[in-house]
Amino acid sequence: MNRIRLFFRYGNIGYLFVLPAMLYMLALVGYPIVSNFILSVQDVTVTTLNAPVKPFVGLRNYRMLFADGVLQTSLVNTFVFTCCCIVFQFIIGFALALFFNRDFSFAKPIRGLLMIPWMIPMTVTALMFKFMFSSNVGIINQFLQSWGMIGQPIEWLLQPQLAMFSLIVANIWIGIPFNMILISTGLTTIPPELNEAAAIDGANKRQSFFYITLPMLKPVIESVLLLGFIYTFKVFDLVFVMTNGGPVNSTHLLSTYSYKLSFTLFKYSQGAATANILFIILFAVSVMYLRFVYDDKGAA
Amino acid sequence: MKKGFRTVCVILAACALFSSGAFAQSKTTVTIWNYWETPKHQETLARVCKDFNDSQGKIEVVTKYIPFADFKKQLSIGAAASELPDIVIIDNPDHASYSGMGIFADITDKMASWPDLKQYFDGPLNSCKLNGRLYGLPFGSNCLSLFYNEDMLKAANCQPPKTWDDLKSVALKTTKGKVHGFGISSVQNEEGTFGFLCWLWGTGNSSFKINDANGIKALSLVRDLVKSGAMPKEVINWTQGDTMNQFISGNLAMMVNGPWQVPTMREQAPNLKWNVVQLPIGKKAASDLGGENFGVVKGDKVDESLAFLKFVASPAEMKTYINDFGYIASRKDVAATQFTNDAVMKVFSAQMASAQPRGPHPRWPEISDALSLAMNESLTGIATPEAAAAKAQKTIDSIVGTK
Repeated sequence: MNRIRLFFRYGNIGYLFVLPAMLYMLALVGYPIVSNFILSVQDVTVTTLNAPVKPFVGLRNYRMLFADGVLQTSLVNTFVFTCCCIVFQFIIGFALALFFNRDFSFAKPIRGLLMIPWMIPMTVTALMFKFMFSSNVGIINQFLQSWGMIGQPIEWLLQPQLAMFSLIVANIWIGIPFNMILISTGLTTIPPELNEAAAIDGANKRQSFFYITLPMLKPVIESVLLLGFIYTFKVFDLVFVMTNGGPVNSTHLLSTYSYKLSFTLFKYSQGAATANILFIILFAVSVMYLRFVYDDKGAA
Repeated sequence: MKKGFRTVCVILAACALFSSGAFAQSKTTVTIWNYWETPKHQETLARVCKDFNDSQGKIEVVTKYIPFADFKKQLSIGAAASELPDIVIIDNPDHASYSGMGIFADITDKMASWPDLKQYFDGPLNSCKLNGRLYGLPFGSNCLSLFYNEDMLKAANCQPPKTWDDLKSVALKTTKGKVHGFGISSVQNEEGTFGFLCWLWGTGNSSFKINDANGIKALSLVRDLVKSGAMPKEVINWTQGDTMNQFISGNLAMMVNGPWQVPTMREQAPNLKWNVVQLPIGKKAASDLGGENFGVVKGDKVDESLAFLKFVASPAEMKTYINDFGYIASRKDVAATQFTNDAVMKVFSAQMASAQPRGPHPRWPEISDALSLAMNESLTGIATPEAAAAKAQKTIDSIVGTK
C-alpha cells in the first residue's frame, strides 16, 4: 500500500488518468485484434466451431488463401479501387472546394446540398447505382443508347473489369463531398491577407495557389488522404450490395472476401486471416502517417 | 374536474401496464427466426403463432425476420456468442451443417413416442437427421418447375418445352425486343446452386460430380441459353424473387421457379395468363427439393419448442397454413388432401417425385459455392464449361475426398 502511495507521489498520477482509456482500448481494440489473430492460426470451421479445443495449424490458412487465387484478386482489386477512388475524389473534391470558396450568392447552400451523397445510407446508394448500371433497364445504358453513343447495351455489372469500373464510379460519387468539406474547412483557415500580400507583390493566381494555398493546406490534405484511404480500403456495403464480389469473384475486395469466407462458407479461420491482412495493411499506412506528422512537427 | 379525469387515466394506464407485465412474466417466450421475405409468408407465420399462443396459456411464441443473405451469419455469430433463438426455420441443406456445429438439440428420444413421425416423407425427414439422429422437423417442401407465359408462347406458336433442346428453341423463339425467352435465378450463392442442380441432376450426375461429359453438358446448357440471347446475362444478379418479378412484368416468357411464388403471383398479377409444367428433361427427370425445416436449438426451452412443433405439425393446423405458403406438406396424410382443385399446384406435387435433396454434407456451403461459381463462369463466358467443371471438381474433391 505504501509503495503504491509513493509511486503516485512522484508525479506519476498521470497514469491513473489514462487508465480508463487504456482499459477501453485493451477491451475493445486490443482483444479483438489478438483474438482474430489467434483464430487465423487455428482451424475453425463448422465442425470445430463449438469444440472446446481448436486445432492449431500455424500459417496454413494464409498459405491456402494465397494458393486459392481469389485473395490475390481481392488484394489487387482493393488497391486499384482505393487508389482510383482517392485520386478522383480528392481532385474533384479539391476543385469543388476552391470553387465554393469564392464568394458568390448561394455558394453556401449549394455546398450544403452537395453533401447529400455523403449522408445517404450506403446501401441505398449501392442499390441506386445497381439499378442505374443494369444493362437492360438501367438509365445509364438508356441515355448512352438514346444519344447514339453505343449500339448494344454495355454489360456494366456483368463483365469483371466493367463491374470494377462501376464500383469505382459509385464510390467516387460518394466520396467527393467528404473531401470537399474537409478541404473547404481547411481553406477558411488560410488568412486572406496572405493572398492579398502575394497579389500586391505581383504573384499570379497559379503562383499563389502553389506557393500559398497548397503548403498552408498540407496538414489538412494529409489527414484527408489518410482518412480517405482508410474509409475506401475497408469499404464493404457498396460492393456487397452492388455486385457481392461477382461476377465470378472478380470484384471481391479484402473486406467482402473475408465476409464470404466466414459467413457464407463457414471457413472462420480463413476469413480471420483475410481480415488480418487487411488490418496489417491499414496499420502500416497509419504508422506511416504518424511518422509524417511527427517529422513535420520536428521540422517546425 | 379535468385534472381528476387525467389522474384516473394515468392510474388506469398504470394498472393496464402492470397487469400485462405481470401476465407476460408468467409465460415462457419461445423465439423463432425465419427468413421469409414475402409479406404473405410473414402474415401466415404470425397467424400460426397466434393460433398456438391462443391455444394455451404457458408459452408465448414470437417470430423474428432475418434476411436470407444474413441468416447464416446471424446464426453462426449467435452460436459463437451463445445468443440463439429457440427455434430456427432453416433451408434444408443447411440443417446438417448446423447439427454438426452442435447448435441443434438431439430430439430423437423425445420424439420417439410421437406417433405422427411415421407420417413424414423420407426425403424431407432425412434432411433433419445427422448420423441417424433427429435434430428437427420438416416444415414443408417444394421443388422447381417451369412457368410459362401462355400468351407469349401462343404468339410464337410454341408448346411448352419437354426436353432441353425444346427449351433452347422455344426460349429463342419467344425472345423479342425487351422480352427474353427464359430466366432462372443464377446468383453466385445457394440460390443459384439451387437452380443449377436440376440441370446437373438431369444428366444423371450426383451433386458431387461435375467434371465429366454430363457435368459439362449441364454447364453448356446455361452457356448456350445466354449465348443465343434467349436468357439475359443479368440472371447472375437476379434472386428468385427478382426472376418472378421479371416474369409477371412481362419481361420473361418462361422461368424456372418454385410453388412459393404462386400465391404472390396470383395476387399481384391476376390478369397474367400463365401456367406451369414439369421441368424439361435432359437424360432423366430431376428437380430440386427445397423447403424449410424447424431446427430446435439446444438449451432450456427444448420442451416448449417441441410443444409448438407438435402443434404446428398436427394435421388440423398444418392444413390451415401450408397452402398459403405455397408449400407441399411433408406429411403424407396432409399432402394427399392438398390442391385437389389447383391444377398449377398439382404440377408441383407431381414434380416432387423427381425432386432430390441437395447434399447432404456438413460442408455443403463450400460445395455449393464451387458449383455456383462454375455455373457463373460458364454463363458469363469467363471460362469454358470444361475449365469451369475441372476447377469445381477439384474443390469438391478436396472437401468430399476422392473415391
